[in-house]
Amino acid sequence: MDKLLRSKKNIILFIAPAFILFTFVLFVPICQSIYYSFCDYKGLTPPVFTGLKNYKALLHDKTLRFALKNSIFFLIFSCVSQLIVGLFLAAILTNIKAGRNLFKNIIYLPCVLSSAALGLMWMFIFSPKLGINQFLAQYGIEGPLWLMDTSGFIILPMWVIGFVCLWQYAGQSMMLYMAQISGISKSIYEASYIDGCTKTKSFRYITIPLIKPMVGTAVSLNAIGSLKFFDLIFNMTEGGPNHRTEVLATHLYLQGFKHNKYGYASTIGVILLALCLITTGVINKFFKTENYEM
Amino acid sequence: MNKETTKSRIVKAIIYIFLVFMAILYLAPLLWVFLVSFKTNKEIFTNPFGMPESFNLENFTFAWTAGRLGTATLNSFIVCTVTLILSLIIGSMAAFAIGRLRWKFSGAALTYFLIGMMIPVHCVMIPLFTRFAKIGLSNTLTGLVLPYLTFSLPLTIYIMTGFFRSMPNELIESACIDGATVGQIFIMIALPVCKTGLFVTGLMSFVNNWNELLLAMVFISDDNKKTLPVALSKFVGPYNTNYSQMFAAIIVAVIPTIIVYCAFSNQIVDGLTAGAVKG
Amino acid sequence: MKRKLLATLLSVAMATTLLAGCGSGSTEAPAAADSSSETTDTASTEAPAADGEVQEITWMFWDDLNATEDLISKGYADVIDRFNTEYAGQYHVTPITTNLEEYYPKLNALVASGDVPDVFIVSPGPNLTDYVEPGVAAPLDSYLADGWKDTFTSDAVFSQQTYDGQIYAVPLNIAAACCFYNTEMFEAAGAKVPTNWSEMLDACEKLQAAGYTPITISAGTAWCLSMVAGYLCESKGVDLAAIADGSDTWENGKLEAAATDLVELSKYFQKTAAGDTNDVATANFYNEEAAILIQGSWAIGQINGENPDFESKCGVFQFPGVERVIAKSDSLAMSSTSKCPEACVALMKMFTDDTAQKYTAEVGGKIPVTNVEYDANVAPAQLAYVMDVFSNAKGTFGFYNESMPSTEAGAHFDDDMVAVFLGDMTPAEAATDMEEFYAANCR
Repeated sequence: MDKLLRSKKNIILFIAPAFILFTFVLFVPICQSIYYSFCDYKGLTPPVFTGLKNYKALLHDKTLRFALKNSIFFLIFSCVSQLIVGLFLAAILTNIKAGRNLFKNIIYLPCVLSSAALGLMWMFIFSPKLGINQFLAQYGIEGPLWLMDTSGFIILPMWVIGFVCLWQYAGQSMMLYMAQISGISKSIYEASYIDGCTKTKSFRYITIPLIKPMVGTAVSLNAIGSLKFFDLIFNMTEGGPNHRTEVLATHLYLQGFKHNKYGYASTIGVILLALCLITTGVINKFFKTENYEM
Repeated sequence: MNKETTKSRIVKAIIYIFLVFMAILYLAPLLWVFLVSFKTNKEIFTNPFGMPESFNLENFTFAWTAGRLGTATLNSFIVCTVTLILSLIIGSMAAFAIGRLRWKFSGAALTYFLIGMMIPVHCVMIPLFTRFAKIGLSNTLTGLVLPYLTFSLPLTIYIMTGFFRSMPNELIESACIDGATVGQIFIMIALPVCKTGLFVTGLMSFVNNWNELLLAMVFISDDNKKTLPVALSKFVGPYNTNYSQMFAAIIVAVIPTIIVYCAFSNQIVDGLTAGAVKG
Repeated sequence: MKRKLLATLLSVAMATTLLAGCGSGSTEAPAAADSSSETTDTASTEAPAADGEVQEITWMFWDDLNATEDLISKGYADVIDRFNTEYAGQYHVTPITTNLEEYYPKLNALVASGDVPDVFIVSPGPNLTDYVEPGVAAPLDSYLADGWKDTFTSDAVFSQQTYDGQIYAVPLNIAAACCFYNTEMFEAAGAKVPTNWSEMLDACEKLQAAGYTPITISAGTAWCLSMVAGYLCESKGVDLAAIADGSDTWENGKLEAAATDLVELSKYFQKTAAGDTNDVATANFYNEEAAILIQGSWAIGQINGENPDFESKCGVFQFPGVERVIAKSDSLAMSSTSKCPEACVALMKMFTDDTAQKYTAEVGGKIPVTNVEYDANVAPAQLAYVMDVFSNAKGTFGFYNESMPSTEAGAHFDDDMVAVFLGDMTPAEAATDMEEFYAANCR
């Protein structure tokens, strides 16, 4: 048996398709992308190596500053808000019996829907003349320009988009936490109640420590997801007004495919990649320190 | 004791009020879009929140024909199904090699594939696009399947490796004693035992690819090859003011998903939970 | 440890399960796919003919021919139908359509993949230059020489399409940027049609006092706002050519003055101008929510197409304080790698034949490029007004964003003007910023 499972031929046969695909569709393009980021490359002519020129240009790119700020805002906002809301919903739903599945399914619903479609839906809901403002107008309240206001450090449209993102993906975090909480043995809770713990206390001192590894998983999923974020913004504001809601992904699309600056767009891609790797590293370090046997 | 019960009843009531509020927050926007999609453009402004005057389907026919949502749905279906099948085959083969076959670099291989989870697709879009353009893959559905497949692999491999590792050793041992080849073990024993895993990963990759917008938008320019999210984004471009028709298009795009979700979500969750308890 | 791993995996698995909904959506899809065949059938004009002898060409355009209400686009759709009928069995054209926002990215993508559409629409200026310089667009002089060129009103219509004496694109129609106004609102507010800048502000003030939104404009679609900025720059005497070659600078005070005027005018914009897209802004006008729309005359086709009752109330005046008008033509270029240039030329000729040009004027409301005779009484009322503006003007100039050394410089100008309007930049900062951009990228 051991010989069979160690057969080189079999191993290669099994791993090769995935390995080849992965290498040629992911790994090689990444290397190419890093090379392009040092090139002047406009698509119609071959890339010309220009050293750090693109990276220097990043420093003077005002839109990039907005995009970077928005991406980081988004990263923090979605990690924190999804952690709180997801955990809260999971805690509530694991503690009720009637209607648990119903509410769980309702809250999870947007996760399976296309964010392109939902983005358009929310774009209409927050547009000046329809949806929310129409609703507020019935009570004589003049609603703000949800997706157009540009005052403040983090502008209103970013909060709105952040809210929509939370709305769409809170269900996912909730499910992750629920799965983990329902995996905790009932006897631990019973023991704690006998010792005089209240529900709140047992949540704080038993549930939270025990689901910490899952928090790590959920937060890093959120983090990567929010850095990749494209569909909702593209369909809600297209980066406007005046590029103020641009994030790295939309800026990359704009530079690469609207202005045909493949080299510069690759540079933004490299920044995005670095940000993803750093964030995952930090989150893993932060959450994966202690292990509890359950 | 009585006091205790009153208190917990109040807490319970608050919890349910909160949950009902959440349910409204989740369903009201969809319901609103649904109702508006039956109205005329004028009605949206005169009667924004009531029931439509009549349930006529004109907006839907318009969205369906002019938006080419039919072709787009078919394209999405082709791309996602092909990707699904290939990613399950290729992914579980690799996962089997990592989880069950014995070789020095299996850990390294898993890490290699898992890195893929951290890489945003945007970073490889430009090189892929130029390469595909040169070999004639741009503007074809194959050109979409390849990156979709590759980006589905890390998760498939991750989950399937876990399933293969957790399956009982005895199963494989007895098969070996019966003289089965590795291929037979994989197909006849490992895959059937881990079909829950296949199911789960398959669903995930299908949903992700079904909803993918960016790559499809960049790679496909032919109207007859657009996938659903692209066709929708293009049709309901922010520069349109025919609101009710746009709303109809949104509904057409999401309604199949919602119907299937409503019909099956409970069964699927129950089945999986039961499977988890057994495992 | 094993249990923990299993638990983690299962929880990920569980979360993923719920994704089931959509996954099983697959079972729903075949039904959808079946009924879609109907759609494809109705659109069969676009399906490639199976006949091997038919020469297939593609034509790329920036509006959806099936969904559009724009009369000009509908006219183009007619041309495509006529072409496919007239040349049935010989040539067949398949349109590739996008929306305007996505047009150039998509075209660039096709160019990069070597899959250039045989004939494509393009704006003259740096956009066309982008395709002429790398040799993507073919010179057309040899095809024009057979008398085709003589059908055009004058050689001047080709001036923006000519590079080193060779013509690379054929104009289809001319549009001039004008101020459209709601005559009823003007009357009710007692406002007069302005002829200079202070009268303009005065008219806006009266309209506002009467409770109307004076001006509807789109800053969400940046070039719309930048078109007004272009007129204001013209009124201050900005010389783009001199700035481009470095003999003059953006910081000579002229742009600053123009941008200051823009800020002054912005008091009269609709409240949602910052985010409204071009079509929303135009809709504000034909739905009678605002009194003035500053837009190219291609909007006539859109306005009359969407709200036919509005034609009688719609007046046109020239942007006050300037002597020249901004003019622009839709032009068709041909791919230099086209396998069947004859079919392409036949198609382009059909776009400039009498039927198409008559339609352009009488229905679309754009200025025709050929000597076609059309019935001025049938044509939209606005066309006559635009023709007046056009003939009274002392010349034309291009859109600012399309008259700069690169498309990116144009986009930068657009963005800066929007930033000034939003208050993110002062007029002086905008001038400095443009100068820095030119110094770094354009000279």
